[in-house]
Amino acid sequence: MKFLLIDRIVDLEPGRRIVAYKALSLAEEYLADHFPSFPVLPGVLMLEAMVQASAWLVRVSLDFAPGLVLLKEARNVTYKSFLAPGQVLRIESVCQELAPAQSQFSAVGQVEGREVVKGRLTLRHLNLADTDPSLADIDARNRAHMRALFDRLAARSAGLGEQAVAAPRMPAL
Amino acid sequence: MRWIWIDRFDEFVPGQRAVAVKNVSLAEEHLHDHFPGYPLMPASLLVEGMAQTAGILVGEVRQFSEKVILAKVKRATFHQIVRPGDQVRHEAVIEQISAAAAATTGRIWRGQELIGEVDLVFSHIDQNLSGLEFPEENFVFTAQFLELLKTYRRNPTESIRL
Amino acid sequence: MPTPGRAEIFQKVRETLVDALSVEEDEVTEEAVLTTDLGAESIDFLDIVFRLEKAFNIKIPQEELIPRDILSNADYVENRKLNATGIQALKAAMPHADLSAFEKDPDIDKISDVFTVGTIVNFVQAKLAAQS
Repeated sequence: MKFLLIDRIVDLEPGRRIVAYKALSLAEEYLADHFPSFPVLPGVLMLEAMVQASAWLVRVSLDFAPGLVLLKEARNVTYKSFLAPGQVLRIESVCQELAPAQSQFSAVGQVEGREVVKGRLTLRHLNLADTDPSLADIDARNRAHMRALFDRLAARSAGLGEQAVAAPRMPAL
Repeated sequence: MRWIWIDRFDEFVPGQRAVAVKNVSLAEEHLHDHFPGYPLMPASLLVEGMAQTAGILVGEVRQFSEKVILAKVKRATFHQIVRPGDQVRHEAVIEQISAAAAATTGRIWRGQELIGEVDLVFSHIDQNLSGLEFPEENFVFTAQFLELLKTYRRNPTESIRL
Repeated sequence: MPTPGRAEIFQKVRETLVDALSVEEDEVTEEAVLTTDLGAESIDFLDIVFRLEKAFNIKIPQEELIPRDILSNADYVENRKLNATGIQALKAAMPHADLSAFEKDPDIDKISDVFTVGTIVNFVQAKLAAQS
């Protein structure tokens, strides 16, 4: 699978808050195992979506300085309901603390207005060059890759804002 | 890709403790996005490996007659990153179990190094009045999980000679 | 061994709730409602029960905290609300809880909202007293 758990970023206030979506499709192959006859997004992928949304906020807020943004600790991640194919998970992550090497978030996932998951996250931000200067080129490639990916994920057509998602500009067939 | 995040059981003490191993390989597609140029095992998938190890341990207590699902991650703390070529061990222990739920603690090891700690709460969804609809049959404990346990019990040390 | 006093029980209960719900110590007051004030979900109740069992070395059978048998008894329930007899039965089964607000709208799906921090402390205190 492509390990991208965020499909679109719809709102972002640097240092404060991000809103992003993950759409679930029956085409995602792991669903055949989770579960047979009852396909639902695995709970840990809801967690990963919350981590990735928060990581995007870190990258943008720090101008893409860290090459790697990783989960250090998740706390009290509670699951209330399921997400089925055809539904969209709306993640809202609020930043409680942001330092150059670490950040804390309180994140919530909703489906059709109902809360399905919430949790607290601590992320670590680092560059490989911090421990091995010869890997600085990998950091640089990661940073560039992430900048390009961010541009694709952020709804730029009508500026950031949830209204932008309702009316995407599509090429005519 | 298959949704199975453990490869083999190394220990299984019913109702108490289980240890399962997971090999991390560059053949796994998700590593190529996480991250390009520096693949490392996502923490969330290490949580899943522990959830599968602990979930089977909990499910086995009632012979897999109930659907046991992950309901809460009390905490998942990571101290090291895990890279292709590594083998991690998920060591899960049942702390408490009731009709409605079970609480487990777990540690993830790479050799002697502690990679992380993962403490979970599982819910027996047939017992919990969640008001949600789901199928009758036990879709949670699929053949691939039951077979992992079966092959552990039958051949803990023997191997097939060619 | 002497049973702990209420203040000591409160402190341990507070610590448990801070850990289980990611809330601040000062949010955990006697009157704080676990669901509406502290954000507890039904899975959190199961987690909290396990933690209390461990912290106080007691066993908490599910029916003692929330008597599901009363809430699912056809004689006591009409349209998912408890009738007068049901409410009397509930009061007898839940001496640890203040049911005065619940009585005004005895919706069985909202039973969890009766639990304040004080309710939990009362329950643990009674359990420990019964044990000694």
